[in-house]
Amino acid sequence: MMKFGNLLIAGITTGAIYAMFAVCVSVWYRVSNILNLAVGDFAMVGALGVDNLYRVKGLPLPVAIVCTLLVVAAFAYVYDQIVLRIAQDGPQRMDGIVVTFFFTFALSFFIDGVAKMLFGTDVHAAPALWNGASLSLGSLHFERAGLLVLACAVIIGGAFWVYIRFTLGGKALEASGENSVGARIVGIDTRRYRRLIFVGTAVIAAVFGIVESPLTGFTYLSGATISLTGFLAAAYGGFRKPGRALLAGLFIGVLEAMLGGYVSAEYGDTVLYAILAALVLAWPRQLGFESAVSG
Amino acid sequence: MNGLVESSRRSAQRSALVASRVPRGLTPTALVAVVGVVFVLIWGQQYAGSVFVLAACYAIVTAGMAVQIGFSQQIAFSQSVFMGVGAYGVAMLNTHYNMPVLIATPIVLVGSALLAILLGSVVTRASGLALAVATLMLPLIAVGYVSGTGFLGGAVGAPLPGTLWPSSSASTSVALVGGGLIVIALLALAVFIAARILTSDIGLELFVLGVDERTAAALGVRTPRRKLELFTLGCVFAALGGAMYAGTQQFVPETLVDPTAELALLIMLFIGGRRSVIGAVVGALVIQYLQGASNWVSVNILVVEGLLLTVVLLVDPEGLAGIVTTGIAWLRPRLGAAPAEPTEAAEVAEVAEPAVLAEPGVLAEPAEPADEGRLGARDPQTALLEIRSVFKEYGGLSVLEDVTLTLPERGLFALCGPNGAGKSTLLNVIGGSVPPSRGQVILSGADITRRPPHERFHLGVSRTFQSVHLIKGRTVLDNVAVACLASHKASITTRIARSRLDQARAQASRALADLGMEHLAGREVSSLTLEAQRMVELARALAPNPRLLLLDEPASGLSQEQRQRLAVVLAALARRTCVFLVEHDLTLVAQVSERIFVLSAGRVVFDGGPDDFRSSPVVNSLLVGS
Repeated sequence: MMKFGNLLIAGITTGAIYAMFAVCVSVWYRVSNILNLAVGDFAMVGALGVDNLYRVKGLPLPVAIVCTLLVVAAFAYVYDQIVLRIAQDGPQRMDGIVVTFFFTFALSFFIDGVAKMLFGTDVHAAPALWNGASLSLGSLHFERAGLLVLACAVIIGGAFWVYIRFTLGGKALEASGENSVGARIVGIDTRRYRRLIFVGTAVIAAVFGIVESPLTGFTYLSGATISLTGFLAAAYGGFRKPGRALLAGLFIGVLEAMLGGYVSAEYGDTVLYAILAALVLAWPRQLGFESAVSG
Repeated sequence: MNGLVESSRRSAQRSALVASRVPRGLTPTALVAVVGVVFVLIWGQQYAGSVFVLAACYAIVTAGMAVQIGFSQQIAFSQSVFMGVGAYGVAMLNTHYNMPVLIATPIVLVGSALLAILLGSVVTRASGLALAVATLMLPLIAVGYVSGTGFLGGAVGAPLPGTLWPSSSASTSVALVGGGLIVIALLALAVFIAARILTSDIGLELFVLGVDERTAAALGVRTPRRKLELFTLGCVFAALGGAMYAGTQQFVPETLVDPTAELALLIMLFIGGRRSVIGAVVGALVIQYLQGASNWVSVNILVVEGLLLTVVLLVDPEGLAGIVTTGIAWLRPRLGAAPAEPTEAAEVAEVAEPAVLAEPGVLAEPAEPADEGRLGARDPQTALLEIRSVFKEYGGLSVLEDVTLTLPERGLFALCGPNGAGKSTLLNVIGGSVPPSRGQVILSGADITRRPPHERFHLGVSRTFQSVHLIKGRTVLDNVAVACLASHKASITTRIARSRLDQARAQASRALADLGMEHLAGREVSSLTLEAQRMVELARALAPNPRLLLLDEPASGLSQEQRQRLAVVLAALARRTCVFLVEHDLTLVAQVSERIFVLSAGRVVFDGGPDDFRSSPVVNSLLVGS
């Protein structure tokens, strides 16, 4: 029973990370019709950037964090202004799979390559923000970094929900997602929301990278794995529904932990992916894939 | 009129002649073969040549991807896994059974094909993103399996003793050059097969499938079968590339099957040009040579690939192939070497956009006898279409309630009703894209309730859509020819030998001539006016000589004058076939229809002739307003 409890805690912690990346992917997909396959790479840059500035360059930790987040935000802004602007706002607006997948896919490669140049290929992590041994409650163990991840997920997830649900900006966001042409006609600047959410989710991803990296450690290639899981969880939420993406992320995290603990530590992930593939094939419509395709 | 038909026939024959002069697919094949052989013979023993051979192994894979992913837009992430199947298969047979690579390769290919069919019959049930996500799991599962299994060499990789060149006593240089030539020969074969398929009538089917699966099904394309064939083709090409990789590199690394390898293949395809076979080959060459070009590039290949892909896609989404094509089109008139393309000539003549309907009278002539065999006995006494107490519920919402109606062999019938009455749903139930919750759809006495849309199309049910569903990027002629393809029963492999695209185009140009639209044949569809686009849809629906023509709001968006022209066409059509029309324009409906059904909240509330229709209080209160 205690094993189950600890696995559940671990599962919810990783699930919360997946959930947040899934929310980032699906919120931006609603606005832009682009799947951000580089979201995990921003997390990697966050973790390795803070590590580099703090450990190698010797900057104070808060300064290192602020500088890293500023660089991520500035890069995301410039990328939107140059690449996405030419691709989507130009005289010949591109659409289809080229835009949906391949620009952010190229971006992911580019970021990973630059990270390899700057940070090398070793495993590093941002310094722990809350030092100390793991907390225990009976025989249940809570990693401090894990608790921080959960806290961030609740705060940022809650802020997202409040923003979408209760503010005019959130309504506009929803409208842009439902029908971008219609939204533009009623005076909503969908391009501004595309840029805002892209920069915002990049920064959120970087924050999660910083908070989470003491748990697992990051290399320049870690981003792709995170993006993949975020993409999958967003996919199971039908890409356009952040709430469902969040649940799907938690579900995948818990399932992964349980499979690793009870089935096989070695083949747990293989079984996980097989189950996820089977789910898509069994209920594509119910999981929201069909609507994501035609919409 | 006859003259026009004659001239369009002549032009079809002329294009058939041009096609027979240079066999389909020969140009890219010859290009690949000649360049490849020259390269291998001159540099085969040096580094530059070995990079070329490695790139050729990848190019075999990307040529298959151009057909499957680029052209038909079936995004399945199965290539790296099947490259692994091919490479590990050859390595195992060579190492454990001492089998020469050239003998192991066909065995592995047959095994891969069987595995692909098995796997494909499960995963290709999914479409679009669902297919992408389901197959994304394949490399993840594969890499987990390979790193966990000692049998395949695990993370270390699997070396194999044999070389691709069969003779083990041959010197290293002979083995290198000979092996390289074998790879080039197989690459040329792969390019030939891919190019032949893309330029055939099935290539047109695949294009439509890539643009919109539902439209493809409504036009008679057997989408499940085509998707399975594409998946299998992609997998077999990948396995062949993998087998060649193992044979020439004599080593299979674990990284061959991981997701990064899959992404690298996609980068090659998209840089080269996703829809072009030769582009896919060039993409593989570019990436491999970049990696071999300098140490800096090879260390920072991710940055280079990321930048290159971004820049190429920004310049042209069709990749390097698209850039070259645009460049040639730009250069040609400036050099004055070649005559302007016929499409451009047509465009110049077409600026004024003359009336789409030059002479609709020809429609009154009896159509060519429809294929009797496919329809069973044609007894004038039996009704063509019977809808028997059809219900349709979405969740708890009832859209159709006990709808029963019968249509005869010929005539024009209209379906009216306020928005949300269930008109389009009823049309979808007849067309087959929406299954009824209860009730039956009978065509000429045969129950077709459970038949899929493409089968109904071949039984003579043809339709247009409420919003225009034309295939962008193709000419008017090809858009109509899609409905005339005789390839629905044929397998994709038969089109390597023979294409029937010219026959389909000839039939399409007759249908266009029928509507007086043959002058538009060469135009790209998105350059047309809405009226012309609707007429192209109509031509497409008519071209296969359907028995039942379902038209969903053909007049919407048309002016009064255009509607009158449409009315003339519809009246002419009704003399040879059964037309069932959903329409909001009550004047048009009352003018052309011999019988009108009014649907309200899913029920038939009126059924009668145009005179009753005009005077009916039910109709007035529902449709005209009090």
